[in-house]
Amino acid sequence: MRVILRRLVQLPVILLVIYTLTLTLAWAVPGNPLERSERRPSAEVQAAMKARYKLDSFWGFYWSYLDNASGLKWARDGLSGKAAAEAEKAKRLGVAPPARRVFDLGPSLQYEDWRVNEVLMGSLPVSVTIGGAAMAIALVIGVAAGVVGAMKPNSAADFGTLLVALVGVSLPSFVTGTVLLLVFSVWLGWLPVAEWGTLRALILPSFTLSLPFAAYIARLTRMGMIEVLKSDYIRTARAKGVSERDVVLKHALKNAFLPVLSYLGPATAMAMTGSFVVERVFSVPGLGQHFVNAVLNKDLFMIIGVVLVFSTMLVLFNLAVDVLYRWVDPRIE
Amino acid sequence: MWKLLMPLAVLLAVVVGVLAIDRPRKRADVVMLNGGDASTLDVTRVSWQQDNRIVGALWEGLVRNDVFDPAFGKLPGMAERWEVAADGKTWTFHIRANTAWSNGAPFTAGDFVFSWQRGLLPDTPSDYQGQLHLIKGAREFTRWRTEKLAEFAREGAGAERAKEAAALWAETQKKFDDVVKLKAVDDWTLVMELERPVPYWLDLCAFEPFYPIYRPLVEAYQSLNPATGRIEARSDWTRPPLLVTNGPFKLVDWKFKREMRLEKSEHYWNRGRVGIDSISIAVVEDRNAQVVAFQTGAVDFNTDLLADYRAEMVQQYRACLAEHASEVAAMEAEGADPITISRRLPADPRLNVHPLPAFGTYFYNFNCLPKLPDGRENPFFDPRVRRAFSMAVDRKNITENVRRCGEVPSGVLVPRGSIGGYASPAGVPYDPEAARKLLAEAGYPGGKGFITVEILFNRDMGHDLIAEAVKKDWESQLGVTVTLKQKEIKIVREDLKKHDFIVARGSWFGDYGDPLTFLETSRSDDGNNDRSYNSKEFDALLEAAGNEADPAKRLAILKQAEERLLDDSPLLPVFQYVEIYMFDPHKLTGVSPHPRHKQQLFMLDVLGDGKGPEKPVEMKRNAQVRP
Repeated sequence: MRVILRRLVQLPVILLVIYTLTLTLAWAVPGNPLERSERRPSAEVQAAMKARYKLDSFWGFYWSYLDNASGLKWARDGLSGKAAAEAEKAKRLGVAPPARRVFDLGPSLQYEDWRVNEVLMGSLPVSVTIGGAAMAIALVIGVAAGVVGAMKPNSAADFGTLLVALVGVSLPSFVTGTVLLLVFSVWLGWLPVAEWGTLRALILPSFTLSLPFAAYIARLTRMGMIEVLKSDYIRTARAKGVSERDVVLKHALKNAFLPVLSYLGPATAMAMTGSFVVERVFSVPGLGQHFVNAVLNKDLFMIIGVVLVFSTMLVLFNLAVDVLYRWVDPRIE
Repeated sequence: MWKLLMPLAVLLAVVVGVLAIDRPRKRADVVMLNGGDASTLDVTRVSWQQDNRIVGALWEGLVRNDVFDPAFGKLPGMAERWEVAADGKTWTFHIRANTAWSNGAPFTAGDFVFSWQRGLLPDTPSDYQGQLHLIKGAREFTRWRTEKLAEFAREGAGAERAKEAAALWAETQKKFDDVVKLKAVDDWTLVMELERPVPYWLDLCAFEPFYPIYRPLVEAYQSLNPATGRIEARSDWTRPPLLVTNGPFKLVDWKFKREMRLEKSEHYWNRGRVGIDSISIAVVEDRNAQVVAFQTGAVDFNTDLLADYRAEMVQQYRACLAEHASEVAAMEAEGADPITISRRLPADPRLNVHPLPAFGTYFYNFNCLPKLPDGRENPFFDPRVRRAFSMAVDRKNITENVRRCGEVPSGVLVPRGSIGGYASPAGVPYDPEAARKLLAEAGYPGGKGFITVEILFNRDMGHDLIAEAVKKDWESQLGVTVTLKQKEIKIVREDLKKHDFIVARGSWFGDYGDPLTFLETSRSDDGNNDRSYNSKEFDALLEAAGNEADPAKRLAILKQAEERLLDDSPLLPVFQYVEIYMFDPHKLTGVSPHPRHKQQLFMLDVLGDGKGPEKPVEMKRNAQVRP
């Protein structure tokens, strides 16, 4: 319990440090985020837009963003009655008032109409779905392949699974993804292209995303199993006459799985925050694209937003794994 | 064992949960790709062609472009009719009575005044403020408010700031009424007086940043900042169900970078002409996946074919036309437009590709400052040198062997044949002999003593291949040494702005149907004059054209200006762009082949679905102008 609390208290501090580092780096990137096409607005218009987004000074931006993102401004507006006044004004004009968010991550500079919160809320569930499915597939394939390999080390089955694992790790997903898309969607026509929201549309992207993870899990499981199968308690179990199936699944796997479990934390955070390549090949509206595009566009608000989300997820998943760890193996303190 | 299955179970539960909540919609009548998601739908702020296209579908301006008229005539929009006074400066627009916004609120002439005022304010400026400044007093108004805001900021903090900011805002409103000659005389009459006669004024009125916005919505999403005295605006009112529009469609759904869904509006005055009930604007970012999405039927209309193998697709399209050479020739003689020709030929997947000349020019900028950024003398300061370099480039080789998509090699800046009544100058010829002579005259015989020329360009879209071809021409024809420099687009733009380059790639797409939209970017004080070209004669010609009331004489002066520009060669035109559409001409109609590439989405019609006029739309043939 105390561990969980301590981690949760640490989280804001970690985020503050990450925010400061990210902004410093992103601010130093050359280029003007407000110049979005070949057409350059007049100097007056550019100055006005800079003032609008507080891009004139680093510290001005730093504190104003912190004020909005930390929830301080939200609390102040609520207490001072400013929020109520705005809602009143909107009601008088007959329209819904602007959304108020506790942690307001600001507007996107490249997509002016969108708040970063909305963009993240829209794409995070997509990435979580694909990432979740990918991790599920990776677990099933990886653990099964690892167990099969470890049962008869250096057999044909072992080399076969190792080879597949090697291919899975080495082949970049733009190759596997494109080949899968070509075969299953274009040639065979079994699965849809550029569609999102159905189970069918989920298959190819999550399978592609799962391959490198599956390969890594297979290797972890195999190593763990070989190690465990040599240990004394397994010999004892076999001597007692426990069936081979029970030896492997009940006794050995439980211990061999622990390295996999600790890998699952960062891996799930990675998978669930999206992959730029997989999203591009399969036209998946996920989070991964923003990591790359935000930097190319020098979209400061978006860069900080995605980095903060990724950091939060990384911390939370590692915490979840720690909790699972203790639960699976009560010996660990 | 079951403990080990826990992570798996949790993952699967998440997947099923999200899928259950997030169901896709039914397929729309037309699914189109519009080159990525819209950057903004805030009418005052729009500037990209893709955004303009959607704004044009959701809103209605004073007038609309007739995109199937080669001369780009104007059709009535919110204005039923209009007249211009004899001096060419005072315009009166009569707003259609009994029209409503998509929420049923009545539409009035005052809505235009509010919208254009917003674009003029330095707090919420339009990128096209310069065009709004054509209205008498508008420039003065913007300048006045900018100064007042600066003054307000200097005064610093005080207890009465909120009151002072409000007072300044009230004063601003009054100032607008006093000086800007833009008035809603009554709810149905809009009168404006311009600084000078502007022959393309109607074209600007049809231009999307000039469209009206719904006042209560915008006002609810802006507030006065007491610290700065500025209006602080948010743009997130452009989302359904909030958004209120007055055009052929209404916005029913917008999922960021996923899908935008437009449905026919029941409040649009011309709803009978709307050919489809719904459009979905999908987002497929990968250029090759866009083609796959079309081939598998997920997408009906791709407005910008950019696949790596698009040149091959264009070659196949040409091969298909060649197989029907005699029929094609007959239809061309008759004046049929390229899309119509494809539709009348037997169905063939190769004919789903439509390469069409565009209203844009690909060029190279020369730095025209006397000194280079590193302090050396700049040989390109001498117009003879620039012209010599321009004449040494084999443009035909670039379009035919490098680009291969049917681009038109061009020695002029304003795309030929794109503006009614404008006769383009002869242009810069490909003449290596004359180029060498000119370079020798300038003091560099055989390229001796010339600096190493660096070509700056951004890293995508095959700019490197063109730079290689230009390098080869300059090195072999002029005897100079050329190096290539690739950078990220944002950094290239920064360098251009700082004039930190020797030669740099550039391009320009016109905004309105007048040569000025290309020429004014070389005016000495223009913000887009990356070249720092500074010619009193050229500026004087633009000024003279501005003061000329007779349209034909005015165009003649502009032609002189373009000639002057090409003689001085601050830029080196390479070719006129093509835009490649992808759609099945036997299935979809209403796509205009006009070089301006403005599409009226309400004219799209799926043939054979029983909805809309069900009649193929063809380019009118009244034309002096070749489409």
